[in-house]
Amino acid sequence: MGKQMTEMLKGTLEGIVLALLTGNPAYGYEITTQLRAKGFSDIAEGTVYALLVRIEQKGLVDVEKRPSEKGPPRKVYSLNAQGEKELDEFWTTWSFLSERLEQLREREA
Amino acid sequence: MAAGWIEQLTGSLEQKKQYKRYKKRVEQLPADYRTAATALERYLTYFGAIAKGDVLLAMLEDLADLFEQSAADGTSIREIVGDDPVEFAETFIRNYADGQWINKERERLIKAIDAASEEGKR
Repeated sequence: MGKQMTEMLKGTLEGIVLALLTGNPAYGYEITTQLRAKGFSDIAEGTVYALLVRIEQKGLVDVEKRPSEKGPPRKVYSLNAQGEKELDEFWTTWSFLSERLEQLREREA
Repeated sequence: MAAGWIEQLTGSLEQKKQYKRYKKRVEQLPADYRTAATALERYLTYFGAIAKGDVLLAMLEDLADLFEQSAADGTSIREIVGDDPVEFAETFIRNYADGQWINKERERLIKAIDAASEEGKR
């Protein structure tokens, strides 16, 4: 992944993960797999995990521990009301940003 | 009361036990995961400069969770950490910024600038 891509993703990955969790509770490894399937192929498992810790600390997700066949219990994350609010805000911000950037590009063309 | 001042000197006993439990978890990881987790612990504790014991322990326990789960899933070290281990470590550490020494200085800077800006208005 290019340096610029990494930097840009940093600011949006939280919103992307919140969007993936909408109506779809998942544990860390599943989220990484979904991200990779959507074309974010180079995202590290640990980066996703660190992000999940953060959105848990911010109270955007509810966490349930489910036993797994192998290894320690898995933390399953589901979006709560506060997370949905945050996601709405993210899309609003994103629309604003992408509109402005498109305008800049058109002017350049 | 007695425990109070002794713990001021030695750190909390409960935290010491917690740290030992964390160490044991790391010892039980497969060798390659253990090596990676230990290297990350070193960097996180140096770079993080976390002054609060409870925050530090929360960070280490989260690190152990990640490595235990990844070992169970068979996620490779490279897939956990990514191409840039420093980038990963610094993303990880941001979650525990509350406990960092630098926080006091951040607050001091904010207050100083607030005061200066107020002074300018008068």
